[in-house]
Amino acid sequence: MSNGFSTIREIFGRRLPWWVGLSLLLVGLVVEQAWAQVLTWDEAVVEARGQTVDWYMWGGSPAVNAYVNGYLARELKARYDITLRQVPVKDIAEVVSKLVVEKQAGKDSGGSVDLMWINGENFRTCIRHNLLYGPFADLLPNQHYVDWSSPTVANDFGTPVEGMESPWGSAQVVMIYDAARIPEPPRSMQALLDWIKANPGRFSYPAPPDFTGSVFIRHIFYHVGGPAEWWQGDYTEAELQAAADATFEVLRDLRPSLWRGGSTYPDSPVRMNTLFADGEIDFSFSYHQGEASRAIHDGLFPETVRTFVFNEGTIANTHFVAIPFNARDKAAAMVVADFLLFPEAQREKAVPEVWGDFPVISRDRLPPEWQQRFADLKRGPATLEDSVLQSHQLPEPPSEILIHLEQGWEMQVLKNR
Amino acid sequence: MGDAGIEEPMMNGSRASGTAVPDGRPVPAGRLVILLGPAVLVVGLLFVGGLVLGVLQALGYAPGQGAASLTVEHFRRVLVDPELFTSFALTFYIAATSTIIAGLVSVALALTLVSLESRSRMVSFLLQIPLTVPHLVIAIAVLFLLTPSGLVARALSSLGLLAEAASFPLLVNDRFGIGILAVYVWKEIPFITLMLLAVLKNMGKELLEAGATLRANARQRFFHITLPIITPVLAASGLIVFAFTFGAFEVPYLLGRTHPLLLPVWSYRTYSDIDLLARPEGIAIGLLIAAIIIIAVGCSQMVLTLVRYREGER
Repeated sequence: MSNGFSTIREIFGRRLPWWVGLSLLLVGLVVEQAWAQVLTWDEAVVEARGQTVDWYMWGGSPAVNAYVNGYLARELKARYDITLRQVPVKDIAEVVSKLVVEKQAGKDSGGSVDLMWINGENFRTCIRHNLLYGPFADLLPNQHYVDWSSPTVANDFGTPVEGMESPWGSAQVVMIYDAARIPEPPRSMQALLDWIKANPGRFSYPAPPDFTGSVFIRHIFYHVGGPAEWWQGDYTEAELQAAADATFEVLRDLRPSLWRGGSTYPDSPVRMNTLFADGEIDFSFSYHQGEASRAIHDGLFPETVRTFVFNEGTIANTHFVAIPFNARDKAAAMVVADFLLFPEAQREKAVPEVWGDFPVISRDRLPPEWQQRFADLKRGPATLEDSVLQSHQLPEPPSEILIHLEQGWEMQVLKNR
Repeated sequence: MGDAGIEEPMMNGSRASGTAVPDGRPVPAGRLVILLGPAVLVVGLLFVGGLVLGVLQALGYAPGQGAASLTVEHFRRVLVDPELFTSFALTFYIAATSTIIAGLVSVALALTLVSLESRSRMVSFLLQIPLTVPHLVIAIAVLFLLTPSGLVARALSSLGLLAEAASFPLLVNDRFGIGILAVYVWKEIPFITLMLLAVLKNMGKELLEAGATLRANARQRFFHITLPIITPVLAASGLIVFAFTFGAFEVPYLLGRTHPLLLPVWSYRTYSDIDLLARPEGIAIGLLIAAIIIIAVGCSQMVLTLVRYREGER
């Protein structure tokens, strides 16, 4: 390190006074930033009027996009005079990268990202590099509908949330199949692995670091590496390494039986769904309980498509929204984050024809008439009962494990080294 | 940053070829500065500035993340990665193959068009259409058309020509990058053809008629008259196309395989990795791409100069 500094000094030596000045200026900005307080709720509501929220989010689902640009945009305009603008991205990690660059460049205000849909590893990166505004989530009135005592809400992939992001919905992995093609699907990971080997070329998964592809790897990890609960606590580096190696062994072994002999993978869940709908593969899977019903409704999947969860359970988590440190319209972003938790907005989101995303607000915290309205929600033909889903939930592992698995997959399974 | 790195050598290439036929009017130096100043300034600021920033970051200079020491570690890690060779070979194969195919077809097409003369206006209008369509659009079209579940496969199987859609040959995400080559060839042929047409039309018929009276047959007329005249433009436009293809990202990103990756896709993947420490490596790969393109352009300029020098001697 000291060597490096002396190198820099040699390079910038003649301009040192200028650099000192610039550094002082930056220090000044940092100090000012530290002084800035998080807005109170009342301030936020007043200030939010007339602001425009640029919401960066994964744009791969027409249903989500329609809900955001339709219902949410309309209601926010009518209730708070806030203009909601969805900015679709393929992967929110791109936005996190952008924020890092802005942080480096000292762009501490006026940033173009006001709100982002985020969780897990991206949240961890943001916390590590101080990229978020907050804590703001605790200030939002609708937070009292959220059961913060639940570990899947209080922690995001092992990272404590602590008010730095606000929950939006919950998701659980479900396997998707066509009952007309496969009347009795394999209902455990072991059975699925056996099925894939018995039916070469009929299964695939999106290549990690795609989020959906990566969760498939984590299911295998739980399958060979021991129960999910165990990985939530203390584990040693050696134990992780051993379990991960066993995971990659299974995946390497599986590769020749995959679609196109594992020579390539779908680049996204959208592409995997297309392959499934085209009959090139026999299974798809989604990190959304209601996606299959939604696709049936859209006419993408045949009516006979159904979903199932493994007997040992499938991975579930909560997804969140967060406000970047340099967002231009922080007040309006807070109001939007609050409105997302409004029972009516959560219920609308849960309607299968709209999106079918599962509410993050806890039903017993709602007034009785709202409890009834949620209970009356009809589900799509392919969506499982709440009781079935909830009794088959596995927690996400800490994001260190996730990153370890994604990197290892690339080296050991993809590149075979 | 990566984009700027690709643009610059292309401009060099075309400018150099433009001066191959000087019009003989010397431009005073002062006016030249005024004329070129703004362009040079913009290119200098964006390209050189970006390059300097890129080099700094590839050397691990990231003040926002507490890393303030300079190191060649990232370059070293990229250079010792066995992926580099595979990735380079694949990128080179795609760029060279598509350029050669496009070049050959373009020569044939341009010669045909010149001999058609009267109808060539219509055809050159048609040729301009592909120039305006973005690569991305063509890539997606190819995706819809040529995948085993795509339109072509479905049409063939519904006509009973294919047993089932799955027996359709792999043309997308395939080992040989056929889908990628198809997009590039389709996009590049019109460009090279139009460049050649300009020269061929200027050339006139006199030389060929003289050749004919001296009893040169069609083959001899092509190799001894036409080819030497179009070579500089062919080489220059081929080079532009090669440099572009070598550094282009979106087509292989959509139509390539998950592994091995082409250099630009690899660079992007590494740069956008969730692990921020991988960023400098992504930039280092990008800089390597820029360096390879610059070297390629430099080499070919030398060869061209040599050819011209020899011609002058004769």
